[in-house]
This record gives sequence, structure tokens and C-alpha cells, in this order.
Amino acid sequence: MTVPTGRPATVREHTVETLSEWIANRISLYLKRPADEIASNVPLAEYGLDSVAALSLCGDIEEDFDLVLEPTVAWDYPTIDALAGYLVEELRATVGEA
Amino acid sequence: MTALVLELMIGTDVSAERGGLTVAEFRSFAELVLARAEERGDADAYLFLENGVRGVEPERLSYAGLDRAAKGLAAWLQDRGLTGRQVLLLYPSGLDFLQAFVGCLYAGAVAVPAPLPTEQGRHFQRVSGIVRDARVGAVLTLGKHAPEVEAWLAEEGFSDVLCLATDGFAGDPAAWGDPGLRTDDLAFLQYTSGSTSEPKGVMVSHGNLLANEAAIQRATSGDRNTVLGGWLPFYHDMGLIGHVLQPLWLGSSAVLMSPTSFLRRPERWLELLSEHRVTVSAAPNFAYDMCVRRVSDAHLEGIDLSSWRVACNGAEPVRADTLRAFAERFAPYGFRADTSFPCYGMAETTLLVSGKRPGRPAVLREVDSAGLEAGRLEGPFLQAPTRTLASSGMVHPEDFEVRIVDPETREERPEGEVGEIWVRGASVSVGYWRRPETNAEIFGARIAGAEELGPWLRTGDLGAMERDELFVTGRLKEMVLINGRNIYPYDVESAVRALDPAFGSGAVFAVDTDQEHLVVIHEVRPSALAGQDLKSATSTVQALISREFAVPAGNVLLVRPGTVRRTTSGKIQRTLMRKLFLDGAVTPLHAVLDPAVRELVGSFELEPVG
Repeated sequence: MTVPTGRPATVREHTVETLSEWIANRISLYLKRPADEIASNVPLAEYGLDSVAALSLCGDIEEDFDLVLEPTVAWDYPTIDALAGYLVEELRATVGEA
Repeated sequence: MTALVLELMIGTDVSAERGGLTVAEFRSFAELVLARAEERGDADAYLFLENGVRGVEPERLSYAGLDRAAKGLAAWLQDRGLTGRQVLLLYPSGLDFLQAFVGCLYAGAVAVPAPLPTEQGRHFQRVSGIVRDARVGAVLTLGKHAPEVEAWLAEEGFSDVLCLATDGFAGDPAAWGDPGLRTDDLAFLQYTSGSTSEPKGVMVSHGNLLANEAAIQRATSGDRNTVLGGWLPFYHDMGLIGHVLQPLWLGSSAVLMSPTSFLRRPERWLELLSEHRVTVSAAPNFAYDMCVRRVSDAHLEGIDLSSWRVACNGAEPVRADTLRAFAERFAPYGFRADTSFPCYGMAETTLLVSGKRPGRPAVLREVDSAGLEAGRLEGPFLQAPTRTLASSGMVHPEDFEVRIVDPETREERPEGEVGEIWVRGASVSVGYWRRPETNAEIFGARIAGAEELGPWLRTGDLGAMERDELFVTGRLKEMVLINGRNIYPYDVESAVRALDPAFGSGAVFAVDTDQEHLVVIHEVRPSALAGQDLKSATSTVQALISREFAVPAGNVLLVRPGTVRRTTSGKIQRTLMRKLFLDGAVTPLHAVLDPAVRELVGSFELEPVG
């Protein structure tokens, strides 16, 4: 069995849509639920997101987007929509700095 | 009891063939560490890699360095009259904790390791309970956490509790004096039991510790060449006894990293094992499962797990599926089928009770599901549903005696029948700190018709013996075990009730699919919910549980007042509520369920709100 990473190509291509899909796929993997069952406007805690899954998400964000985040983002931005919006902003800021 | 079994062990000298280590050589664990420091000198005792990254030079602590730092700290503790007193250790994973722990042993102080509250959203509430229960005299921590710790101590009114930042502290090793400890003296209190409101500290004596380190060595065939390693937290019994203190017992070394680093990137654990040629590493079942699901082939490039002899899987139920999936996934990277090492133990027995036999794969036993529900290991029968149990291995008679006992009649159960697991041996604690009544019941149990055998520990776990293999099948007590953590239903119920006056009684329990799931059934008066509908009230409960208890909260049922059953004395009937839930007999006003749990329960009706 191989684990798909679904790595988007470059930073500039990220949109709320691509990031939402990426997050839904990761959450689906951590919480063992089909990705299409995870609504983007429902708090992730409702699907069973806990601190272990939040740390997993941060680790995967760091790996795929080179962005170091604290697990508290999962509670500060509790839905996929909110989190994707936040990631887009953070990634733009990173590109601006570069 | 403890002293008696120790005397028996002196006579048998069972571990002599493996490097001449015997419990009887040492009166205390402190004496053992002193002897190791003498023998090993500048050899590495610990390597620490915060993030476990490949190619990064680890921080090192030699035996001599550990000995020096510990003596300096011990002199400070002795100077302040803390010999025989409890000392709380609040550290992130790192070399400072190791020096502080051994410093306490050297001073004859009783170490009380606890998670650092600021890590992972934990709060000071639980450690406040520990400070009060343990009557802590001092707190040791790091400089960067000291201001927060001091503010907390002042706020809680612990004005007489000293606080020392041990990094950058240079004590005088020459001022240290040997406290002349005996095997019965306490080494540390392990607070893994009890709820937040009523924490219970297991009293682990120097004799218990020596006996269990010998038991772990026997079970895992350890010697001077053993390299331990992993990411388990140091305050947790499996991390402390298994990864941190076993190398001192063996005179070998350990390579350690932080738990959060593993949780962020699980492949770092495997990288650490590969790069440092680790031979023994332990983790709860969920960690093996996480590696299978999250580590990709790209991460595994150059990984070689062939040095790994013993992969302890304990602290939560061992899953046959996980053992198979992990072995299959990592076999191409050198992981051997007989490396998986299911084991059983708990803080009350210091740590290890049983483990897989050496040189052969773990025993997986397919049993008839109905038979198991009726309390027997039998079958499998043709065309009847089965369950596969992973054996927790064998019990070495030098270390423990284990009996399966009817928890009601206290009569011993025959081979193959499920009952409560009762244990005795030199590693078994004398009890919880300042809990004489609980201790008489839990640590002083007698088997009906064989009272003269003396006291046994009631583990609260259910299991059966078959061909000298121990199968753990469930739990008698209501504690829930998820992600290697103990969750007390009472704590969750209290926290939910405190959210909103509209919440009444609750019942919290676990159900089992391919993993354990927490289920929360809570009464609510919909009309009293200020400005919230049932859906948002459910979300609030889920957010609370995932944040405060750090476990998935995928199953919350809000029910009408009067639904949660109580006994005539007012005790919540969690076991009954669990049965009603599984039978589909709980009718919620609103519910969210994890898909796997939904499948287990089948369909159920929602009660119309009105």
C-alpha cells in the first residue's frame, strides 16, 4: 500500500479550492472517513478532530507547503473553509517575502 | 509481599547468564545508577534529537555527565530538606528531565513526573490536583517555563513549594551525600490513574523498579548492546520505565525524541530507529497504525529497520489488524515478522507484566465471537462470526504470577475462560499514595478458597489464559483508553455539564470497532439552551472534548432529561447506557456519529423536538 501525498505543484497555484481539497483528503486519512462526507463549513471537531490529528495536519502542511504552524490553528480556524482561507493568506505572505 | 518475592529472587539469580545483572546486587535504583556511572564513565547514556531528523547531530549525555549533574541537583534537594519528600518534575522531553529524575533518586526524594501544562493545550488544573495529593515540596522545571510555573504556584496558594530551574543550575556534586536507601523506599509516584479531580499516584519503590527493569530485560532479551529509542513522553510509565530507565539498568544507551515531533511526522520515528540502529522501541497501537497510514514510500528512502528486534505494542488494546498491516508495510524495509512484541502492563505493576515469546511471531488467535461475548475462548466454528485476538505474550514465573479470577465470586477461572486479570510479584506497587481504602480493595485482593496465597492486584482488565499465553479481552473498569491515554468518563461528563446550565447528566463510555471510540450521551433541555440550537450545542460539546481531552469526539448524542440511567444511589450506569446505545435503544434529540460507530449501532430514530 502506498500513501498518496497529493502534493500541489507550486505555491502560486494555491487557491482556496485546491487547499480545501487537500485538507479534506488529509482529514479523511486521519479520521478514516470518506473525504466527500466532510463538509467544508462544518467544524472539524465534529468529525472527531483531536490534538493528535491537529498535529498530524500541521506536520503535513509543513511537509507539503513548507509552512510551520502550531496545532492551535485547527481550533482558531475550525472549518476547512476557514483553514483554507488562512493557508492561502499565509502562503501569499511567504511568497511576498521571498 | 514485595520483600518476600525479592528474597526468592535472590536465591534464583535468573539473569546471571545475561551479563550478571541481578536485582539483589542493588538496594536501590540510585545505587544501580552510581555503579553504572562508575563502569560506563564517558560512554553515552542518552542521545536526544528534539525533532528526530536524519543527519542532525544529537545532544548527548554521558553516564559521567548524568552522574555529575544529578549529584549537583541532589545536593541542592538535600540541602533544602527534600529527602523523603515529593518533587514534581515539569519538563518537555529532553536531557534536563533525565538529570532531574536521577537527581531525585540520588537525593532520596520521591520524583513525581507530570506533563508540562503548557504543552499541547494542557492546563495547570491537573497538576494542581497532583501537587495537592502528593504534597509536593518542590517543582523542578526549565528556565523558560519557571515564570509561568511560579505564577501558577502563587495563584494556587502553594506558597511553601519551592521552584528551581535546573538548566543553567550548577550544583556542587561534592556536597552530595548518599542517603542510604533501601528497597522499600519510594522512588517515584506515577500519576497515570485517577480522574483530574481525584488523581491517584502509584507508589513505585526502588525494589519495584529494580524488579521490573529485570523483568523487561528478561522479556526483551536485553544486554549491553541493546539500543533503546523512541518518542514516548518521559512522564508516561511506558516511556519512563521502558525507554528512559531500562538503558541505565542494562548499562546501555537510548536515543530519544519528542512526542510532538513524531505526531507531526511519524516517519521521523522510523528514521531515528534506522539511523541509530535502535534494537528496542515501544509505542501504543495507534502509533503503528499511524505509520501505516501516513508514511509514504518517498519518506522511506534509505530506511533500514533490520536492527529493530523488539517493537513493544502496549498501553492500549493491541490490534491484530495493526500488527499485520505494519509488518506487511515495513517488511520491504527490513522489519521482521517476529519484531512485533505485543505486551501487557500498567503503572500499578511498575510497567511490564507479559510480552511476546522471543524468536517467534506474535500469537494471533481467531475465536468465535459469540463465545467470546459469553466469556470463553473457543472455536472458530464454520460460518460463524469470529474475532482475532492478539496475545499479550507470556508471563515469566520469576517476575509475576497471573490468575484469571471471577470478579464477583473471586474464584479462579479455568484455562480459556475470561475473567479479571489478577497479578502478584516483586514489581507490583504497594498501592496508591494516601488511598488506604482503595488499596485494600485493589492491591489486597484474595482468591476465594486460596486466601493463604496472599494479596493480589486486581487489574480491572478482563482476559483469559490459553497455553500460557495471556489474552486481554476488555476492561472491567469504566476507564477509556484512546491514543495511549487514560480518559475518565467522570471528567468528561463533568466538563460537559459545566458548559451550559441546559446540560444535565451524562454517560461517557467507549465502544470498539477497529479502534476505540468515545461515546458521549448527554441530557439537555432544548428550551433552556440560550441562543443555541441542538446542532450547535453538539458542536460545542465536540469542540470541548477534542480540545480539553485531546481525543476524537465523533460520537455525541444529546438526549431528553431522564434518559441517562442511574442506580438508586444516584450512580451513573455507564455499562447499561453502553448496552442500550449498542442495541439502538437510545433515542437522541440530536446526534453525530462516526461512520464506523454508526455501522455498529445500525439505524436509530431521532426523537422529534418539541
